[in-house]
Amino acid sequence: MKLLYDLPPQQKSLLNLAPGEAVEYAVPLDLTYDSEAHLTGGTYAGKGDSWIVVSEQRLWILEKCEVKKEILLSDCAEIRCEPQIYSGILTVTYRQKNERAHAAEIEPNSPGWPESETVEPDFTADPSSKAAGPESVSGSSTERNSESKPGEKAETDPAENKKECLARFSMREMVRVSYVARGANLYAQGEHGKVVSQENETYCEKCGRALPGTSVCPYCSGKTVMFRKFWNLCDGYQFKLMLISCLTVIVSVINVLMPVVQQRFIDRALTDGSGTLTDVLIFAGTLFGMLALAILVESLRYWFCVTMGADLSMTLRQKLYYKIQTLSLSFINVRKPGELMNRVTGDTTQIRQFMIDVFGDMVGTLATMAASLVMMFVLDVKMTLLSLAMVLAVVLITRIFWHHIHSIFHRQWLKNDTMRNGLSDIISGIRIVKAFGKEKEESERFRKLADDFAAVNKKNETFWAVFFPLLTFLLGFGTYIAIYFGGISILQGDMTTGQLVQFITYTGYLYGPLSWMTHLPREVMQMLTSTNRIYDVLDQPSAIRDSERAKNFPIQGDVAFQDVTFGYHSYEPVLNHISFEAKRGEMIGLVGASGTGKSTVINLLMRLYDADDGSITIDGTDIRDIAGDCLHGQIGVVLQENFLFSGSILSNIRFAKPDATMQEVIRAAKAANAHDFICRTPDGYDTYVGESGYSLSGGERQRIAIARAILNDPKLLILDEATASLDTESEYMIQQAMERLTDGRTTIAIAHRLSTLRNATRLVVLDDHRVAECGTHEELMEKQGIYYKLVMAQLAMAGGETIDPQIFDTQSMTM
Amino acid sequence: MIQEEGSNLLDLQEFDEEAFRAESEELLETRYLTKENAVFSRTAGGFAALAFDGRRWERVYVYRMFPLSDPERFLSIREADEKAKEIGIVENLADFPKEQADILHEQLNLRYFTPVIEKILDVKDEYGHAYFHVQTNFGVCRFTTRMGGDAVTSLSDRRVMFTDLDGNRYEIPDIYKLTAAERKKLDLFI
Repeated sequence: MKLLYDLPPQQKSLLNLAPGEAVEYAVPLDLTYDSEAHLTGGTYAGKGDSWIVVSEQRLWILEKCEVKKEILLSDCAEIRCEPQIYSGILTVTYRQKNERAHAAEIEPNSPGWPESETVEPDFTADPSSKAAGPESVSGSSTERNSESKPGEKAETDPAENKKECLARFSMREMVRVSYVARGANLYAQGEHGKVVSQENETYCEKCGRALPGTSVCPYCSGKTVMFRKFWNLCDGYQFKLMLISCLTVIVSVINVLMPVVQQRFIDRALTDGSGTLTDVLIFAGTLFGMLALAILVESLRYWFCVTMGADLSMTLRQKLYYKIQTLSLSFINVRKPGELMNRVTGDTTQIRQFMIDVFGDMVGTLATMAASLVMMFVLDVKMTLLSLAMVLAVVLITRIFWHHIHSIFHRQWLKNDTMRNGLSDIISGIRIVKAFGKEKEESERFRKLADDFAAVNKKNETFWAVFFPLLTFLLGFGTYIAIYFGGISILQGDMTTGQLVQFITYTGYLYGPLSWMTHLPREVMQMLTSTNRIYDVLDQPSAIRDSERAKNFPIQGDVAFQDVTFGYHSYEPVLNHISFEAKRGEMIGLVGASGTGKSTVINLLMRLYDADDGSITIDGTDIRDIAGDCLHGQIGVVLQENFLFSGSILSNIRFAKPDATMQEVIRAAKAANAHDFICRTPDGYDTYVGESGYSLSGGERQRIAIARAILNDPKLLILDEATASLDTESEYMIQQAMERLTDGRTTIAIAHRLSTLRNATRLVVLDDHRVAECGTHEELMEKQGIYYKLVMAQLAMAGGETIDPQIFDTQSMTM
Repeated sequence: MIQEEGSNLLDLQEFDEEAFRAESEELLETRYLTKENAVFSRTAGGFAALAFDGRRWERVYVYRMFPLSDPERFLSIREADEKAKEIGIVENLADFPKEQADILHEQLNLRYFTPVIEKILDVKDEYGHAYFHVQTNFGVCRFTTRMGGDAVTSLSDRRVMFTDLDGNRYEIPDIYKLTAAERKKLDLFI
């Protein structure tokens, strides 16, 4: 998403940029807001009039040719984009006077702007704080300001009203402004990082059309480029395409030749009455042969098209699927869950449909039409031109009709939809309807919906009944013309009967497919859009790629996080300078409220994402330098939501190591306390799980997941809420399994239930995206910090009475 | 043995059962703000401040309780933080002195944005999207919606709401006040 627009020159000149100061962000605003009087404006502007502009030092709000607001970022404590209802506002919280002085000291060199231009917020002009403040740059401009506006400072107090609304915008600019607010915030904190947005634009900048979820507009990128891309998609199928083209030409030639044969027969055998039975037989034979050949070639071609379409879409699906596997989760996360799935299934189907429809039908038809036209010109130029003129008229008329048809049937579809929704509402809420005795009202409501639908339906069917014969009549126009002018020509002796019949047949070729030929542009556009969406994924670089130095080695299990900072969006850090380490065989418990970044720590360790800053090492090697296969092959993961794939329990346990022996599988299942219940199922290890398979309880699924995690004896084990939401017995079973599991392995575990972590060597408490506390259970209990509070709270909830914290020590925690 | 306790347990920085109980009781209470017990004032930063019940809030949120059916009455006045706890309800804006009612109006204008469509200039549908060109009470504008069912909400037989790709909403209070030609352009939607 674009965060730095080009400002029009006259607006740029308003900024009075100091040497070395550059515009870092500039985004448009679409709602007017009077930031002087603090009143909302009445215009919902298009684009180009109002802007938010940010440099490293300042933030401006521009409206038309005027600077509405200018603030120093060093004066700001926070700049926020606050969502409102179908709109948003940009607010700023100013620093208190003393904080400001501090900020000015930190960056003494930064202010290079012309002082006289600086507009300071009025409330800072409080006389008492001014007197106390040092003569910093902002202090001096404040003074000037207080002189210029003496009336307004009177009742304001620096402690209050330190928040100000700067600008207002609609949802259209919301995302952009929130990024910019975050960027400005970084500068206000004295940091220099630049915020970038990976999100795609909603609209094409050039043509204003909505983009189909891609970064390039399929309309503007140029059709030739898109066709070339399509051609590339067909890579490996070029030969088949050529073959299909050849077959198409053959069919067209046969189609065009048949009327020629007809003409000869009529003119030479029939009209003058000189024909014999042999002539009739030869004619019938030739025609039959040609027809048979045409049908044969046609079906062959169609068959090629269908198989090629299917093959092509399969190859594409595979390509997409593999690509998606290599993409970083960040690419996947910015897209809606269904969207990628749609690209794999929907768009590839679209391409297949295109191959069948267009190459299978349309291209052949077009070729026949073109050949017919040539033949028609040979026969009679004047009649052909007339027919062509009629073709244009018919195309125009049918287009209008089709548009109308489309719209009335769309309406019918809408009504039908409303009716179905109403029906499903009533049926699913039937108990409530009955309980409240509202049967009559609800029936009435539904009757109305059904009536509406019936009315629309009736109207549409009537229209269709009238329209269809009319269309047929229109399509016959070419023939009427041909008969009229052709008849005259025959009477004048310019044309033979056979030629007329031949001509009329060609007219039929020309007019017949016209009605559905109008769909061609739509079909092509859909294909291009799908191609575009497919390429949008295929062209994406795999974000997490093994570096050149990536190496394979057996992991021992020393893990260290050094000053790691990371955020899923560049404007929102989830982990801030996280450091901790886990020695071989240790168990580290991650504790903290939800949203503090515990799972993110684990995501980074699994290298689903790369850290923005700092490093994560395993045995002293940065994980970016460990080959992906090597890393993932040696980490065992048990997550809270344990997904079992459709298949047998055996195949699920073997997921990480498909060639594991039965002995190994049994050993893993035993270790995970899963062996017992697996044996009790009718099909044992061959029990089919997954959708519509054998239903396992949460605890059982969890234990299978654990068996899966330990099958290949990982040196590093990751447990993310592995025992949450289980009943006591399952938890006990899993606890036991875990103890065996964590033995001799480095374990990083997250648990809500702190008792799960009682064996942890050390606990790392995350709070506010940082490491708040770190130490053993005893140390942290003694410290009486966050961890202590958590433990006490859990105890209070469990027992409902005050329990001596000593009970919660490791010895007495046995279950 | 520690029992299962629900996942919000860790959100316990201020865990205090008494306070929790008091808070939930406070939530159950309905407090009406009237001109006798509450005073709104304008802050220098463009927000509304409130003095009520011996306390003072430097900024309050003003929410409509019935933004569609009764936008001018029943405003919920809330604390300006993430929890947005309700301070009280203003039943009727008109009961307050004009100056204060104006302040609340300003806040409502700041918070709510739903342009009212006055005239349909053009509607074009193309490959799954509809492109609107309309005259609203905020001026002439263009917006784009999806062609599916989620773009249009019928609030009644006459009142229609459009939601565009960005999530903005546009209202037609009465489609029968549009001309027949304009309604025809909306054929696909209503």
